[in-house]
Amino acid sequence: MAELRKVAIVGSARIPFARAYTGYAEEGNLTMLGAALGGLVEKYNLRGEHIGEVMAGAVLSHSRDFNLAREASLDAGLSPRTPGTNVQIACGTSLQAALALGAKIAIGEIDSAIAAGTDTVSDSPVVFGDKFQHRAINLSRARTTGEKLKAFKGFNLGELTPVAPSTQEPRTGLSMGQHCELMARQWDISREEQDALALRSHQNAARAYDEGFHDDLVVPFAGVLKDNNVRADTSLEKMATMKPAFDKQSGHGTLTAANSTPLTDGAASVLLASEDWARARGLPVLAYLTLGQVAANDFAGGEGLLMAPTIAVSEMLRRSNLTFADIDLFEIHEAFAAQVLATLKAWRDPDYNRVTLGRDTPLGEIDPDRINVRGSSLAYGHPFAATGARILGLTAKSLATSGKQRALISVCTAGGMGVAALVERAA
Amino acid sequence: MAQMQTPNVQMPPSRAFTFHLDFEGLGWLTIDVPDAPVNTLSRETLAELAGIVTALEEMASSGELKGVVLLSGKDSGFIAGADITEFDEMSDPGVLRAALDRAHGLFDRIEALKVPVVAGIHGFCLGGGLELALACHYRVAVNDDRTRLGFPEVNLGIFPGFGGSGRSIRQAGPVDAMQIMLTGKLLRASPARRMGLVDKLVRVRDTLRWEARKAVLQARKSSPAPFTKRVMALGPVRGYVANKMRAEVGRKAKPEHYPAPYSLIELFEQHGDDWRAMKRGEAERFIPLMNSNTSKNLRRVFFLSEGLKKQGVRGKDKPVFRRVHVIGAGVMGGDIAAWCALRGMGVTLQDLDMERIKPALDRAKALFRKRLRSKTEIDNAVARLEADVTGKGLARADVVIEAVVENLEIKRKIFAEAELKTRPGAILATNTSSIELERIAENLTAPGRLIGLHFFNPVAQLPLVEVIRSRFNADADIARGAAFALAIGKSPVVVKSAPGFLVNRVLMPYMLGAVQRVEAGANKEQIDAAAVAFGMPMGPIELMDTVGLDVGKSVAEELGNPVAPDSQFARLIADRKLGRKTGQGFYTWSNGKAVKGEVPPHPDLAGLGRELVQPLVNATAVAVAEGVVASDDLADIGVIYGTGFAPFLGGPMQARKDGRA
Repeated sequence: MAELRKVAIVGSARIPFARAYTGYAEEGNLTMLGAALGGLVEKYNLRGEHIGEVMAGAVLSHSRDFNLAREASLDAGLSPRTPGTNVQIACGTSLQAALALGAKIAIGEIDSAIAAGTDTVSDSPVVFGDKFQHRAINLSRARTTGEKLKAFKGFNLGELTPVAPSTQEPRTGLSMGQHCELMARQWDISREEQDALALRSHQNAARAYDEGFHDDLVVPFAGVLKDNNVRADTSLEKMATMKPAFDKQSGHGTLTAANSTPLTDGAASVLLASEDWARARGLPVLAYLTLGQVAANDFAGGEGLLMAPTIAVSEMLRRSNLTFADIDLFEIHEAFAAQVLATLKAWRDPDYNRVTLGRDTPLGEIDPDRINVRGSSLAYGHPFAATGARILGLTAKSLATSGKQRALISVCTAGGMGVAALVERAA
Repeated sequence: MAQMQTPNVQMPPSRAFTFHLDFEGLGWLTIDVPDAPVNTLSRETLAELAGIVTALEEMASSGELKGVVLLSGKDSGFIAGADITEFDEMSDPGVLRAALDRAHGLFDRIEALKVPVVAGIHGFCLGGGLELALACHYRVAVNDDRTRLGFPEVNLGIFPGFGGSGRSIRQAGPVDAMQIMLTGKLLRASPARRMGLVDKLVRVRDTLRWEARKAVLQARKSSPAPFTKRVMALGPVRGYVANKMRAEVGRKAKPEHYPAPYSLIELFEQHGDDWRAMKRGEAERFIPLMNSNTSKNLRRVFFLSEGLKKQGVRGKDKPVFRRVHVIGAGVMGGDIAAWCALRGMGVTLQDLDMERIKPALDRAKALFRKRLRSKTEIDNAVARLEADVTGKGLARADVVIEAVVENLEIKRKIFAEAELKTRPGAILATNTSSIELERIAENLTAPGRLIGLHFFNPVAQLPLVEVIRSRFNADADIARGAAFALAIGKSPVVVKSAPGFLVNRVLMPYMLGAVQRVEAGANKEQIDAAAVAFGMPMGPIELMDTVGLDVGKSVAEELGNPVAPDSQFARLIADRKLGRKTGQGFYTWSNGKAVKGEVPPHPDLAGLGRELVQPLVNATAVAVAEGVVASDDLADIGVIYGTGFAPFLGGPMQARKDGRA
């Protein structure tokens, strides 16, 4: 087999992230994803261009959007010859897409690709309960009046109660927040630590905005020009007044609306390519996507729903013979402040390293000044499937502009999974 | 693309149309007028279409053609209308009559085709383009932000002349159809669908052809307006409706200035219950309108305004404007900031403290509520406008607009700082109306960066922005300023830095002249009525009250016309009776309206009005002679947009040339 090719990150484009039911109340996944891809098309002059493959997904999705990636690619003005694949691994969706596409570029199957994700809570699919749904299907298949009537046998009005989409874990029945409360208890993460991390995320993100870091990463959409969750003026005092959001009764609750990500609408995309493809078009190479890893843990057995990134990162570093000391920037997706803090604590914990990660020496401490230096999801918000692409785009630009060498990305997902990636500076 | 069949009938050659017949028997007719950014229906294009329709008729009767789909090959849209550049050549009534008869005959033949004809519409579908679409049997349109349907003819002093008056009434019913023809208002896809001008909406352009194919195969035919709508044109109701329309139009346009809407209403009154008769009656009324001075002048104004849109920077250097930093949250600064935010810019509005910014934000919110449709749109606009006490928006701004008090030192200080803190490509602009641009610019390291962007109050209503050029500016600086004005939907006119620029300079002698007459005993109501009778949108005394007597006085002084201290004008100012904003000026103001007394009779009001505007016309001529504006054309469009000067007269310079002012 021929030698693997390098996977260049050309750049990224995303629409501003908006808290649910605000700026994008009238939009949907297709228009949002189309706009994010349109941002790449504008920025890198891709109108009518045949891209090897677009891979994208949404966690909350209407059945009509079964070909979301393909439809959005056409809306964005890419060549009709550009295939689009829907993928989905909860909050890891667009990072996983980038890894899959990176592999295809590396082996020479394609020369260019777009990894993307979108999510909206404001336009989430609301359906009837199972019982009524089956009646409706039986009704549509019924031929005779008798059969049609039979479809409604035993009907009661309660069946018409619409069911909103749920982000509960099907296996445990707990929400993500409730799971993260358990992680905070298990790893002894205090409310104060969580609030401090959230504050820093907002401050870092606000500074990045003021410095104009996002000016060429964020494209206006539907009259929204910037993320509306970033709060430059928040404070520990304000955060301290918030009540627990998930554990309202036990008195132990530490997760609040301030140290958890809000429900968010948004879409993000990253353009990947072989070096030759980028060079031939005079496009930049900001960084290389060099490694990836997806992992899962026994969350149903009690390992902590959002702890799988510890494994993904550990495995990835093992494969590359790197240690934390070799990493200049850490992009650890902040689903909850407690999730980040528990992860960091686990990497320092000798028992956890030995038992769960199979390491005799703990991965160890990370310099806090290397973590989420431009803020993360607590500040920007977290449209589930879009977050990976947001982070990857931000990371590539950070490396290109900062002179740092190597960045590590870690994203936790529902279902006890985690996706990690390594990004290295170009030249 | 479907596999092509070779039709047995010979298609005539065409520059604007391509045709292919597919294996299902569908004929795909695409209009793409060469060397033009938009499709228009010139005589040549219509002649080509006539030849094609002959071929289609043969193919339809031979059975090889199952239906026709008419699409546009241009991104800009379907068809923007008839080719207005040809209108002047049609001044001979005989030539025009023949051209109209040919177009009517052609559209009737399309309608009479034995197979379904479906129009697939995206982007602009206006005037003659909409008339052609209405002659098709079914219409599909893209439901996006860019789709616009309408009849803008009335703005050119005419009305639809290719059968659109009758066909639009047939499809949309008399009230809606007349409303869009009388106002020239352009409709988006959804309202057009609700009105019945369009039968089906699709999400994207790709889908047009597929929905159109379905329509052909199912032989769908658009249904005419239901009886509940048509009843408004029946029997005595029609006369009543026509009178309501006359009253409505009368509020905006006088029949002696703008005959077209009145002529259309008469046509409706005659034939509104019979769309065919209405269609037949079009030409007879259309021909004199087309030959009227009003229409000639309005056509010229249209071309001049199109010319303004061609200013700015094109091609790959076309600047992108996203962030505007406005310094000074007073009436002008605040309203400029609000306007920019309304038009999609991210705006930071700077002033010394929140108390000064707050009223501007409140006014902005009121503007957004008035102009935007949904709560989300309003909230997003509110989010685009940020108060900025510390001036942090300066560093990332693409455009900086200063609108603080008229104080040279303060302005110099602001731009000295702005020059340091902004990125090099950012536009630096002042909204000053009385300080010479050169004096603000001269201390800058790069004085050529500073331009003037002179907005007019009320910003949301007046389309003109004077782009002020100092002797330091290069063409590129001015072009970028014009590009920005266009980006926020304003019409830029480049004016040399000179006292009063263009608009204030020509307005002031006219207003002061009228004030002097009133001081000498003339009746102010009569003065104002005379100006309106001449064709001004508002009389000069009412205008002075609206602008504010204090503002009028300071502009007058700057132009070397000090107000006599013993005048009524000076006394009103001394008593803080400053006009509309204080509730009392020359007039008493109640609920934003001047309380006016009876107008004393006058044998020739319009003649008096013409006398009143003499100073304005004279001043315009001097401004052109001194090179304040580059040409008569720019002076005319600038004064029309800046003062509302009678568009049907074509502006002050044209009116003087025609001996009408």
